[in-house]
Amino acid sequence: MGWNRQKKLYDWFIAGFCVLYLTTFIVVTVFVNPDYTFETVLIRSASTLAVLLLHIILSIGPLSRINKKFLPLLYNRRHLGVTMFCIAAVHGVFGIIQFHSLGNVNPFVSLFTSNTNFFSLSGFPFQALGFFALIIFFLMAITSHDFWLHNLSPKVWKTLHMFVYLGYFLIVMHVMLGVIQYETHPVFVLLIAAGALWLISLHLVAGRKEVKKDSQKFDVAKEGFVQVCNVNDFEEGRAKIFCIDAERIAVYKHDNKLYALHNVCKHQGGPLGEGKIIDGCITCPWHGYQYLPQNGQSPPPFTEKVSTYDLKIIDSKVWLNPIPFAEGIERPGAIINE
Amino acid sequence: MLLFLFPVAIVVALLLASFQKRFSSSNFEFGTLTQIKGIYINEPIPVLKVIAGKDIWGNASYITIPLVGYGKHGAVTAIMELEKEKNTTFNSKELTLKGTLLYSNGKTLLQFNKDENPVVNIGSTADSSLLPVKKDLGTQTIKGEIIDPKCYFGVMKPGEGKVHRDCAIRCILGGIPPVLKVTNAKGEKNYYFIVGPNGEPMNEAVRDYVAEPVSINARVVQQDDWIILYVADKKFTRISGISLYKSSTEIASCVGDCMK
Repeated sequence: MGWNRQKKLYDWFIAGFCVLYLTTFIVVTVFVNPDYTFETVLIRSASTLAVLLLHIILSIGPLSRINKKFLPLLYNRRHLGVTMFCIAAVHGVFGIIQFHSLGNVNPFVSLFTSNTNFFSLSGFPFQALGFFALIIFFLMAITSHDFWLHNLSPKVWKTLHMFVYLGYFLIVMHVMLGVIQYETHPVFVLLIAAGALWLISLHLVAGRKEVKKDSQKFDVAKEGFVQVCNVNDFEEGRAKIFCIDAERIAVYKHDNKLYALHNVCKHQGGPLGEGKIIDGCITCPWHGYQYLPQNGQSPPPFTEKVSTYDLKIIDSKVWLNPIPFAEGIERPGAIINE
Repeated sequence: MLLFLFPVAIVVALLLASFQKRFSSSNFEFGTLTQIKGIYINEPIPVLKVIAGKDIWGNASYITIPLVGYGKHGAVTAIMELEKEKNTTFNSKELTLKGTLLYSNGKTLLQFNKDENPVVNIGSTADSSLLPVKKDLGTQTIKGEIIDPKCYFGVMKPGEGKVHRDCAIRCILGGIPPVLKVTNAKGEKNYYFIVGPNGEPMNEAVRDYVAEPVSINARVVQQDDWIILYVADKKFTRISGISLYKSSTEIASCVGDCMK
């Protein structure tokens, strides 16, 4: 759960991605436009990179639900979010300095009073939309640390962070009512439209998959146990998720045994069943919180616990009892090959 | 796994950077101060008329350099403060000012900072033959985009259009005189200062029309090498961008003739 190698690699990836984008954008701009100015290149490269990162951030959730190969992207998504905010802030701060400083009123007053054409689509003051989006990203960035998660409670925290979708909408409108009305080449409007279409499609596909998964019927029940799948369906160190009586249960395969735990991580409600076993612990894909498979407890000194469930294997069929044990109660698991 | 995003970064950056509108060739000599000597004229727009010898017909050769203040401020208030400080008036006198040049498309402006002792010398009143020559070109309807000349001619790229609209409004509200940019069918651009019917500032009146295609009915007056639009009814009409392009030919060609 600490600052492990994977998180360091993730951060190096983020830095590499940003440097690669900025370098390409700046070099091409300088080459194509010898009359460029530093501040305009900075404002444009930062804004376009931030919008690209926002699309990646919003794609990670549904992508990792559709295909587990994308789970590494989910692992440290908050660092990607904070990076996106910092880059968007460069755009915002330099934009305000460029367009609103050294005037006859305070730059923030100028931001909201220069253009007051709120009832015109072509004349709409699009900069204000970007400002409000930046405020949302700022609130998300400063509350991204676990300190705020514990103090705000996971529910409030998660609700706050769902505002990223409002932020995205504001950014799309900021672009559509701003630069799209200035630039003449269709690539700009095509890219922003393709981005929106991509995100909407991804969320619909992932949502449909979740609904389908949750609506799976388990007809065969015996002594409180429900037949869920075949024992050969499991991959070592990975889980399958079953939704029984509106509760999601993660069944993990580890060291020739199957273990069942409540699917919801105590940290931020992450899907434990979409994670994997690292160092003998079930590791949440969102932020790396870990639980022991046999009792659902975080290894000491951590204190998080989730409910456990009973399992058994009969003739290669996996049977799961959906009645939970209290959080942290040890269960023996089901041996696969006796 | 994460590395598959690297080509995405390169492709998106390449597309967006390659297809940006071309940056204008305007210049702002940031950090460089230049001394300009000319005849100061305060109405309707504060300018320095710089005499540069004589042309082949023996007439005075000159360029008119409009003045703007520091940041998003016009020159009028700053000049008044400097006049008070020097205890004299500048109008029609030979004035040497120190400031930063900005120029593009054949137009040059001078930014000066009143807090940096911009007045190098105040000379005598200029000979009346050197004062601005005005020629009334009649009343015309002209279509174009209202810009702030300081950003457009040098300080900002872009200094026009929707993305620059807030800045242009702030500059104009700060006292920088509005300019109508007119583009003819050939893509040639002409620039006209906008003032009220009696030469008074129109800065507040244009704020809702900045960076949009507008039509203006005005008395057109050539003042040396600039055109001034005296907007009779102080009214502006929004028009579509296509109309702006097609119908601006008339005044553009007129100005071409006038300049001959």
